[in-house]
Amino acid sequence: MADHRLVGKTGRVTGRVGPGRIGEVVIPVRGGTEAFHAYANDKDEEIVTGTRVLVIEHLPPRTVVVTPL
Amino acid sequence: MYIIGGIALGAILLFLILFKLMWRVAEPNEALIISGLRHNHATDDIEDSLGFKIITGKGTLLIPGVQTVRRLSLDLREAELAIDCVTHQGIPLGIRGVVIYKVGDDFASIANAARRFLDQQAQMDLRVHNVFAGHLRAIVGNMTVEEMIRDREKLTQLTRESSGTEMEKLGLIVDSLQVQEIEDPTGYIENLGRPHAAIVQSQARIAQAAADREATEREQEADALKAEARRASQVKQAGYQAEIDQAAAQAKQAGPLSDARSRQEVVVQETKVAELEAEREEQRLQATIRKPADAQAYQQTTLAKAERDARISGAEAKKAETELEAGANAQRVKVTAGAEAERVRLAAGAEADHVKLEAEARAQSTRAIGQAEAAATEAKGLAEGEAVRAKGMAAAEAIKARADALAENQDAVIGQQLAEQWPAIVEAAAKPFGDVDQMILLNGAQGLSDVLAQALSQGVTGLQMARNLLSGANGFGVGSNGSGPNGRADSPGNGQANGRHPETPAVEKGADSS
Repeated sequence: MADHRLVGKTGRVTGRVGPGRIGEVVIPVRGGTEAFHAYANDKDEEIVTGTRVLVIEHLPPRTVVVTPL
Repeated sequence: MYIIGGIALGAILLFLILFKLMWRVAEPNEALIISGLRHNHATDDIEDSLGFKIITGKGTLLIPGVQTVRRLSLDLREAELAIDCVTHQGIPLGIRGVVIYKVGDDFASIANAARRFLDQQAQMDLRVHNVFAGHLRAIVGNMTVEEMIRDREKLTQLTRESSGTEMEKLGLIVDSLQVQEIEDPTGYIENLGRPHAAIVQSQARIAQAAADREATEREQEADALKAEARRASQVKQAGYQAEIDQAAAQAKQAGPLSDARSRQEVVVQETKVAELEAEREEQRLQATIRKPADAQAYQQTTLAKAERDARISGAEAKKAETELEAGANAQRVKVTAGAEAERVRLAAGAEADHVKLEAEARAQSTRAIGQAEAAATEAKGLAEGEAVRAKGMAAAEAIKARADALAENQDAVIGQQLAEQWPAIVEAAAKPFGDVDQMILLNGAQGLSDVLAQALSQGVTGLQMARNLLSGANGFGVGSNGSGPNGRADSPGNGQANGRHPETPAVEKGADSS
């Protein structure tokens, strides 16, 4: 199962991720989707809305580190 | 048997009741918080922290009296916000919004929330409101009014940045922040839209005016066309009506017209008859009245002319006769007057003789005077009778002739008499000087000549008086002229002359009469 594990899942950016700001990604988890705060893995990288991202790290409770696929 | 069955049934029922009391189910929108018994990590679905167990989405068996179970709602919640804040540009705004949040679905969030709100779920809204009021002030303070209205992404971004981590601590996630209403006491937003609104309004008005104008133009054109059509129609109607009226009038006048025509003919004929009658009457009058009248007038004229001629002839004859008679009368009067004058003169001479004789003989004088008077009276009466009989012009002529003759004769007679008497007069004048023995003349030769001139002038004065007397005597003066010189020679006139001498201071007299 391990549906509640976030790392390794893919999601989509709903709030632009960039340096100096908090982005938002929606990730399918626990049978639904939840929105998490997102930071880019590369600090200077900017990920625009709609980009598919891979969750690299989960910082509980609601923060993930992502990188664009 | 029944008892066994009853007991078994009772045991089943008891088991069911116990099971019911011990079994708890977590609804999809809630989490069960179970505490009281140390739990070992059995499955992934059940997590424990701080010694309590969290169950979501399934049932679990708990031991009554040992464990307690609480429910934490995972439902969506909302908190109303109404705050006054200031934008990035310093414009005060009143914002009413709503924040929608829920407890996070992961066990960490549920645990956080359970530890904070498990007994205060009713007050969660108040807490969130208080937290979010500050966050919203910060959010609005970082935005302009225009961004707040248009830039939704920035609003959510700022919401996330300012409140996300804070809410995570509470185990909550913000699904949405909605600004429902912005109160704008300075009218900023209204003014933002005003230029565009004005443009749009002006365009609308322009379009409306243009459309209105076009519509009006079309309407007016249509009206003009309508009026034209109406005019044409009315003109035609009037024309037809006029024709109808004319025809009707002609029809109506036809009867009276024919009447008038026939009457006119009657009148013409009557007029001719009247003219003929008048002509006949005129002819009759000419024959019966005018011709006889002309004849009578001619007769009378002729008779009057003949009478007038006769009268003129008679008058002329009478005039000639009268003239001749007048001439004869004048001649006769003249002759008579001459004879009368001669007779008067003779009578006057005779009277003078009588007077002279009376002076010589007083005895005879009375008789002579009587005779002379008788003769004079007789002559005068005769003369007067003649004069009266002669009348008017004859008498006047007689008198005039006598006066002329007398005027002529008078001067001649007087001049002659004076010439005859002149020496005696001078002598009488010189007589006073004869009585003077001695005369002293103070003025010498001139004084003598003055005295002489004075004496002579006195003599001349006497002569003038005599002339006046003679001229005043008229016819009878002739007789007295003869005795004039004598009377004057010995009249007291000398004494009068003497009497004047003493008044002259230049004369010394020895023997003066006075």
